[in-house]
Parts: sequence; C-alpha cells; structure tokens
Amino acid sequence: MTANEHRTTVWPWIVMAVAGFHVFVASMTVPPDALQGQLSRIMYVHVPAAWLAYLAFGITMLGSAMYLWKKDLKWDRRAHASAEIGVMFTGMTIVLGMVWAKPTWGVWWTWDARLTLTAIMFFVYLGYLALRRTTDNLDMRAKRSAILGVLAIVQVPLVHFSVIWWRSLHQAPTLLNPEGPSMDTSMVITLLIAVSGFTVMYVAMMFKRIELSRLEDAVLVSEQTSSGPIAGHGITSPDLTGGS
Amino acid sequence: MRTDAPSFLAQVMTIVRRDLLRERRSGEVLWVTLPFGAIALLLVPLAIGTDAPTLQRIGPGMFWVIVMLFGVLIAIRQTNAGTQAQRDMVALTGLDPAAIFVGSTTASFMLLLVFETILGIVTIVLYDITPTGWVALPTVLVLAAAGLALLSTLAASIVSTGRSATALVPLLVAPLSVPLLLGATQAWEALRLGRSSLPWVLLMAIVGLLLAVVGVLSARPLQETA
Amino acid sequence: MSDGAVLVDLEGVSVRAGAVRILDDVSLTVRAGEAVGIFGSNGAGKTTLLRLIATLQPPQGGRCSVFGADMYSVARYDVRHRIGYVGHTPGLYPELTLLENLAFVADAQGLPTSEALRSLELVGLGGAADRRADHSSHGMQRRTEFARILMTGPELLLLDEPHSALDADAINLVDTLVHRTVDRGGAAVLVSHDRDRMNTLTTRTHEIKNGTLL
Repeated sequence: MTANEHRTTVWPWIVMAVAGFHVFVASMTVPPDALQGQLSRIMYVHVPAAWLAYLAFGITMLGSAMYLWKKDLKWDRRAHASAEIGVMFTGMTIVLGMVWAKPTWGVWWTWDARLTLTAIMFFVYLGYLALRRTTDNLDMRAKRSAILGVLAIVQVPLVHFSVIWWRSLHQAPTLLNPEGPSMDTSMVITLLIAVSGFTVMYVAMMFKRIELSRLEDAVLVSEQTSSGPIAGHGITSPDLTGGS
Repeated sequence: MRTDAPSFLAQVMTIVRRDLLRERRSGEVLWVTLPFGAIALLLVPLAIGTDAPTLQRIGPGMFWVIVMLFGVLIAIRQTNAGTQAQRDMVALTGLDPAAIFVGSTTASFMLLLVFETILGIVTIVLYDITPTGWVALPTVLVLAAAGLALLSTLAASIVSTGRSATALVPLLVAPLSVPLLLGATQAWEALRLGRSSLPWVLLMAIVGLLLAVVGVLSARPLQETA
Repeated sequence: MSDGAVLVDLEGVSVRAGAVRILDDVSLTVRAGEAVGIFGSNGAGKTTLLRLIATLQPPQGGRCSVFGADMYSVARYDVRHRIGYVGHTPGLYPELTLLENLAFVADAQGLPTSEALRSLELVGLGGAADRRADHSSHGMQRRTEFARILMTGPELLLLDEPHSALDADAINLVDTLVHRTVDRGGAAVLVSHDRDRMNTLTTRTHEIKNGTLL
C-alpha cells in the first residue's frame, strides 16, 4: 500500500456539482407541460433516477459475476458501491414517483407492474447491503454477497416477468415509444440532458465510493496484518490479594 | 474405517433422515410454526371483517402469503440453530456440501408440504373456500413448497453463521419469493375462472429449477465453518 | 519415530480474528506414528491450532496441508473423513439419542449402523444408548464422542482438552484411543493445559504461548 493509494480525489465532487447544476438549470428553464404544469418538472429527476437504479443494479450483477470468476476484491468493491448507489436512487425514484402520482393520479401508490418491481428491487438490494454487514472477513463477505448478486441475476428477471405478466397499467414508456416520443422537443432534450447528467454523476459517485471502500478495506487489512494485540495478552494470573 | 464413500443419493438420504428425526423429536414445525400459521389465518378475518363474500375472495391469497412468510421459518429451523461443535462434526463426516444442500432442502420440502396441506384445510374451513382443479392444485402446492424450500435453504447458507443471521434470511427470501407467490395465487385465480393455469405452473417450475442449480453449484464455496 | 509419512504440515501459519492475532507464524510437522502434545494457558491459541489442523479454521497466512491436501483447495473435502476431532464441547444433536447421533455419523460415512451400537457398548454406554443427548450428562456426551472415534477409526486424531471433566475410566479410554491410533500407523495431536499427563501420553510436546509455538 503506497501513499499514493491513500490520496483521495477531488474531481468526482466537481463533476457531481457541475452535472447537478446543468440538470437543475435545464429542468427549471424548460417550459412546463401543457396538462401537468409545473409538476412535470419532477420528471427530470424521477426518470433519470429510475434509469440509474437499473443501471446500478446491472453493474452490481456484473461485479458479482466478475468477482466469482476472477476472485479479485476490486470487483466486489465495484458491485458493492453500485448496489449502495442503486438503493439510494431506487428510494429516490419511489419517493419522487409518489409525490408526482398523488396530484396526477390521485393516489400515492398504484399497483402497476413497474412500480411493484421497483419496490421489490429496493428490498432485494437492501438485503444485499444487510448481508455485507454480517461479517468482517473480506473474502467471505465478497463470496457471499457475490453469490447473492448472482442469485438476483437469476431471480430479478423472473420477478420482472411475473410482475409484468401479472399486471401492466403504467403509461407506455415515455422515451422508447416506437411511434416517436410523445413530448415536446424541448422537453425531450431536457430529459436527455438530465439522464446524461445523472449518468455522469453516477460515474463520479462510483469513483468516490470505490475509493472509500478501498480505504475501509485497507484499514481492515492493516488491522488484520500489522502487529495487532495478541489473543493471550488479555489474560494475566488472578491477583486476589487486594480483594476485601 | 470407511472403505468407499457413500453415493450422493445415500448422503442425501442421511441428511433427510436426520432432519425428519430431529423434527419428530422436537416437534418444532408441527407444534409451533403450524399453530402460529393457523392463528394468523384466524386473525385476518378478526381484523378486516367476517362477511362471507370478502373472506371467500381473499382466502386463497391470505393462505399463500402466510405459507410464504411462515414457511421460511420452517426451512431455516435448524440451519442457523446448530452450534459450532455440531457444524464441525457434520463437516468432518466428509459429507458432500451439495448433498447436504439437497438433503436439507428435501426435508424442508416435505415439512412444507405438510404445513401447506394442514393450513389449506384450515383456510377451506375458516374462509369457506371450494377448491377446484384436482390435478393442477396439488401440482401448484408441490412446486410452491419446492421453490420455497430451495430459496430458503440457499439464503440460509449464504447468510450462514454471520451476525443476526436468523433475522436476515426472511428479508432475503421475501422479495425473491415474488414469482412463487404470484405463480401460486394466479394459478389458483386461473383455475377459479376456468382458464389454463399452465403458464403460471411453468413459471414456478423454472424458478425451482434455477434455484436448484445455483444451490448445488454454490454449496461447496459456501461451506465455511469459521 | 520421525520417519513416517507427513500427515500434517504447517508452515508460517497465522490466524486472526479481526485485529487480534490468535496464531502467529506457527510451523509444525506431524508424521505417522507420532503423538504430539501441545500445552499452554487459556487464550494461547490451542483450540484454534487444533481446528486449523482439522481443516475447520481457514488460516490468513502461511501454508497448511493435511494428508497432503492444501487447506485452501477443495481437496480438503476428500480428506475430512480421515480426521477424528473431539472439541471441548460435544457436538451432539440434543433431541436425538446417543445411538441416533452415532448412527448419523455411521450413515454419513457408509458404515453399518450396528457399528454405532457396538462402539457405544465399548465405551460403556450400551445401557444408555437410547437416552436423549440432552438428558445425558456432560461426561456421557464426551464418551459418546469417543465412541464416534472408535467407530470411524481416523488416521489423524485431534483431541482438545481430552482429559477435562472425565472419570478414571474415561481417562483410560482417551489414552487407549491415542495408543490405538498411533499403533495403527496414524498420528494424534492433543491439546491441554495439563503438562504432566501430556508428557506420559505423547512422543513429544510443544508449548504454545501468545499464539506462537515454542
């Protein structure tokens, strides 16, 4: 471990700030939706957050599979960082969706397939993060969470499929509509700016989180390899002479 | 001293016999988890009202939710409860970890079938349900029990002996059991409306198959006693 | 004495629990025909060392092979049935009888179930075979563990504090087990804080102190 590896980087913070600012300006200057008014601005955060959630969980699956293949902790750190960011954005997607749904649909929650699936994904990866807290052994932690990550690869598409099959009432996907986007061009451009801004933020966050994980692991490893206390040193001969 | 290692099937049967014998002695499933599930079915009407049409409509769904949530308890009953000394003893018998996985899953599957059958009768009585589909219904019961046994045993071996293991397994199992829950409830719904339940039965079968593959492949890497 | 095949080979092995060092740079070779005694005070790392040799405790560093199988490799699954380990707490299922507990091990190793009853009789528990483990005393549970060793006849015998909480008969039983294993060309490793008994029973002894073998 060289001193260089302990240096923390600043550029991810700058990138996050710049990208966030762009998204903010774009979503505030675009004209409001004809039907939904100012409320439609939530879309510029809600849609990219949802996209990030899926992207992040995809990267977690990739990291888990790569760890099982290469047995390199770097892949475990990537999988973990992505899962944490994913859980955060899934939570954000759900809450913003609720805020949007209440005035638009009249309810906080509706039981359509995409909503249900997002909520289930949130809990699957919450479990993944909880699993990582159960052991301090780096290799064992990596192995167990990677197997769960792969189990999710196997199961999430089936969850997705079964939920879609069960019910689909949600409006058709906004951007990927085969007959072309059903929105005003300025709104489409803003949405694209927001999605790419969020993706850039995701990349910066990944760098920052992986850097932090590397430092956390380095602390654990140095504790576990340097001259730590010896187990038997906690025990001395009983001294009962001073007892009253 | 042993001469030849017992066959895989013999090893599986060793684990099944052990688990069923332990259950017969302790009665944990029969006298604790089963009554707990039955009282849950009794509490629901007390909370939401007891008019016959409502109960008939929600009965099957309640049955499956309770089977999924309480069934996890059956599948993890002894996985985490073992002491370090017991786990050491099992590891040094030289049993193939994959055989241990298949054996534990099989024992849980058999206990879950009993659990489902008795709770099913309770549901029929309390919620005034008329079961239909004498071929499809048992198939769904079997597939649900198999899927849940596989999923819970797998989750229990992933969590293994980590901190707060018993609390974590249900959190891992619940969201991933959605295809099983939907498969079971929708197959029932299809039967009731006279439609084909085959797609849902197939879905459950695929889930079970995939879980079995992941479980067997991950058994050795996961057998860590430390 | 020391020209038998190498059964256990540890080289610079270390084990840690978080930051705490339990074993530090331990090297030990055990050959067939040897009975090795290891003594030390509480917390010296005796139990960890024994579980490490039993392939139950993965090391964080160093090389460790048992019957020529590397601890890190999957080959350890194929040598485990040749190891007989008795920890200081009995690993019995409390709701099963003593006989059922042994029958499970017999089953798992492909031995006839009659062997289970026979070895219980050999350790003097023939009359208590149908008693549940949780209704049996600690001493009876330990004797059941020794019956398991008699039944499976391991080539490598690992005993953790074998003489604690035993009556004179049972202590003789432990000594017999060690002699039998060694006479048949196996090896034994015993761990204890009782130095005198170690000296009479073993071919050589080591002291373990603060996680280091002296």
